Amino acid sequence: MAQARQAPLDLLLARVQRYGATFADIVREHAGYKTQILQLAVVDLLKTYRGSALGWLWAVIKPSVTISVYWFAFSVGLRAGKDVNGFPFFLWLLAGIVPWFYMQEMLTQGSTNFKRYNYLVTKIRFPLSTISTFVSLSKLYVHAALLMIVTVIFIMFGRPVDVYFLQLPLYTALMFLFFTMWSLFASLLSAMSKDFSNVVTSFVMAIFWISGIMWDVNRVNNPLLAKILLFNPVTFIANGYRNVFIYKRWFFQDPFALFAFAVVLVVMFGLSLYTFNRLRRDIADVL
Amino acid sequence: MSAKQIPAIEFRHVYKRYRLYRSDKHRFLGIFSKRIAFKEVFANRDLTFKVERGESVAIMGKNGAGKSTMLKMITGVAFPSSGKIDVNGRVSALLELTAGFDPEFTGRENVHLRGQLWGLDKAEIAVLERQVVEFADIGVYMDQPMRTYSSGMKARVGFAIASSINPDILVVDEALSVGDKAFRQKCDRRIKEIMAEEKVTVIFVTHSSGSAEAICNRGIVLEKGKLAFDGPIRAAIEFYEGPPDTPVVAG
Repeated sequence: MAQARQAPLDLLLARVQRYGATFADIVREHAGYKTQILQLAVVDLLKTYRGSALGWLWAVIKPSVTISVYWFAFSVGLRAGKDVNGFPFFLWLLAGIVPWFYMQEMLTQGSTNFKRYNYLVTKIRFPLSTISTFVSLSKLYVHAALLMIVTVIFIMFGRPVDVYFLQLPLYTALMFLFFTMWSLFASLLSAMSKDFSNVVTSFVMAIFWISGIMWDVNRVNNPLLAKILLFNPVTFIANGYRNVFIYKRWFFQDPFALFAFAVVLVVMFGLSLYTFNRLRRDIADVL
Repeated sequence: MSAKQIPAIEFRHVYKRYRLYRSDKHRFLGIFSKRIAFKEVFANRDLTFKVERGESVAIMGKNGAGKSTMLKMITGVAFPSSGKIDVNGRVSALLELTAGFDPEFTGRENVHLRGQLWGLDKAEIAVLERQVVEFADIGVYMDQPMRTYSSGMKARVGFAIASSINPDILVVDEALSVGDKAFRQKCDRRIKEIMAEEKVTVIFVTHSSGSAEAICNRGIVLEKGKLAFDGPIRAAIEFYEGPPDTPVVAG
């Protein structure tokens, strides 16, 4: 009897030890390759915008076109663009859609890192876990530039930077953390199967429309649904950016949203650790 | 020389197993479930050997004998399914020279990228760049994207980069026979230069017994993933090619 209880406990301990070791490997790889990660983030930026005459400008042109189109469709076409919390619809849209551009990049391009950088996997000895980190960092640089432009636009509209901006780094950091882990998880799986990357790309638009970037999640009538929606990390981040720019609310004023995001973050952490532990040695064989 | 020195490379009961699924879909499902059927293929079986520092070993075997897999595991880009591999020292691999570059970047940028990947500082990268530009000798193409390179040009840059570091362990694949005659001779000279350094361990993969005998003093023959022969180079060549007095039509 005692033995029967002993065995599963040992099994659990062994498992904890194994995943702990994997996590320690990831930390060690990042610590050992700090400089390379920073340098490769810049390399990734160059790679993304290389080969077009306008180069860097595309980082601004593409989002500008998207924003204009949505603004036009909603305000002029659907006449739905009402002011929110005293802010013009255009600004409300801007605040929520700017993090989306980062998240979209991470959902699509960020989920194919091992394919995009297959020479780092199959030809050179390079720590695999850091690839998603430097790709994510490179997208974050673009995001930071857009964020600055958006802040300037807000100031031009007579909405100065206030104390609520203090929580902006927190939301950005949480977004970075979540999507870097996502990127590791998704890149591993899409290296194993094209189906996975196809599934992801075909759902990006769906994620965009259900995540409350174009509509206000705070106005959902059904209280249960409102709670469920908060388990979507995209919603949490977009809403967080709007807390800063529009709603003028602190992150701790909605503890449930924080709790829901924490749950999703932990799940993502578990998933990425599990897949990394499972597949890191097989990736070079299948690429 | 102390008898107890650390070997450069040590393989202990190394197996490399590839799982072949019916399709990519099955392989994907196989990640999550143990019930998905697959075939197992062993590229390497029970490899056990030691290579001491300063030795030069020829690896021989037919296509599919498991040479490439073994080399990949020595360079550290692939991992054994079971068993243990110890590699002590900096490995430089002259394998698929045309691979391992970012096609979007120029030759020069790829040199910088590689330097960064190796963790070199600015001054070291400058030296690397000078060496590579000089050795590869491809002129203005150095500043063109590598996707526009011919395979010969890629190989030149590839060899120049891989041979620029002074490795402890040099892994040379015979697929090296790229480029024109003059460049091949240049490569041969460079390899001999590296080998002349004391204590450099050389792993040389080849089909040609001539170059194996010229470079190596020990030979390992692989057959269907297993170690079929390990011994002095002459005996290894005899084992691989059959008795020497049987005349073979020169090719």
